[in-house]
Amino acid sequence: MNKETIISSGLLELYVLGETNSEETELVIMLCNKYSDVKLELENIELALEQYAMGHGVVYPKGTKANLFTKLNLTDDTDKIAIQSAPIAPMRNYRNLAAACAILLLASTVMNVLFFSQAKKADDKIATLAQKMTVIEKEEAEEKESLNVVRSKYSLPLKMNACDIAPKDADAKIYWLTNTGEIFIDAANLPNPPNGMQYQLWAIVNGKAVDAGLVMYKNGKSLRLQQMKTFGKAEAFALTLEVEGGVAASKEKPYLITRL
Amino acid sequence: MQLTKKYSEEELIKRLQNEDQSAFSYLYDNYAAALTGVINRMVDDEQLAEDILQETFVKIWSNFRQYDSSKGRLFTWMLNITRNHTIDVLRSKGYKKQLKISDDENVVSNLRDKSSYIERFDSIGIRKKVQALKPDQKIIIDLAYFGGYTQEEISKEMKIPLGTVKTRMRSAILELRKLLLF
Repeated sequence: MNKETIISSGLLELYVLGETNSEETELVIMLCNKYSDVKLELENIELALEQYAMGHGVVYPKGTKANLFTKLNLTDDTDKIAIQSAPIAPMRNYRNLAAACAILLLASTVMNVLFFSQAKKADDKIATLAQKMTVIEKEEAEEKESLNVVRSKYSLPLKMNACDIAPKDADAKIYWLTNTGEIFIDAANLPNPPNGMQYQLWAIVNGKAVDAGLVMYKNGKSLRLQQMKTFGKAEAFALTLEVEGGVAASKEKPYLITRL
Repeated sequence: MQLTKKYSEEELIKRLQNEDQSAFSYLYDNYAAALTGVINRMVDDEQLAEDILQETFVKIWSNFRQYDSSKGRLFTWMLNITRNHTIDVLRSKGYKKQLKISDDENVVSNLRDKSSYIERFDSIGIRKKVQALKPDQKIIIDLAYFGGYTQEEISKEMKIPLGTVKTRMRSAILELRKLLLF
């Protein structure tokens, strides 16, 4: 009998089903060892029936396995084994994959470092900008307030005129809010005070000079509009040049003066 | 895919030959359902079926050195042990296998009924794939593969001449292979 006849006879199927006698069994084993295509045919029959049986499996009682292992005095440590060791060919793929992963990881690390430093720079920039923004916002708020002071219908603008000791073009403006008594001074047209000196505003109330506050400078510039002390009434306002920090009672001649 | 299957089976066999307990545990987890399915086809008594399953695995474990991979796949060997042991047990209890699985005249409906109330275990959708099998083809495979019926018994059961059982069997399995792509 040649192998084709054997294959088409159904002998291999019977062999897998355990239906062959010892002579037939010997024959099948011999043919499988001799011809790889017979062996392959046999394996395919086995695989098909194996799958068929797998598909017809039923859930078995849970305790059976434990009983079995106790009976055989075995330890059941399935977890350790999820074996299914990968086949050799795919293993190579994994190796390539691993190499690719390593390269990607390295590249990613480098990129991370780059991006991190870039991000840090950007962060710093943002922080600076935010700081500037805050300053600008504050300035804008101040401007707005200044404008409100100037525009207020209760605002009484008073122009202070230069006295003898001041340059002729030196001047300052006072805005006196008559409803609240708040006083603001715009000292932008004053020459900067000499080092160690500061302008001090006085309100003349009932013939007496009362301290109304110091004109502040920021970064060498006077504020656009600075709030001074509050007065309900006053006959006049005078500005003197005093030592830094101001004095309680001035002995200086007025620098600028305005009368109501 | 086949390579994976074969390699892992080789690995499993090697481990089992070295009496690796975790490999045995793996073997049980992977094949107990299928073998239980076969036993349940032949045995009505649940407790008896469970005993048979346990005894079968004891045989597999203690006789593993007798397994020879050049003679066939591991599952084929295990299924033969299962089937033979089940038949032996039934016989020792005075059952005749054909009588046991066919209490009534219709062995086929009995096979079907039995498998219908059992909780199915078919994660890979085999049953759907084999739906295209002709009833006669399914019956002849089930009788031989699950029931351990001999050619004579099949001939009698299906009322077909003994001489055609083998070729019918082959064409049925060929159809099965076509459906399962083997």
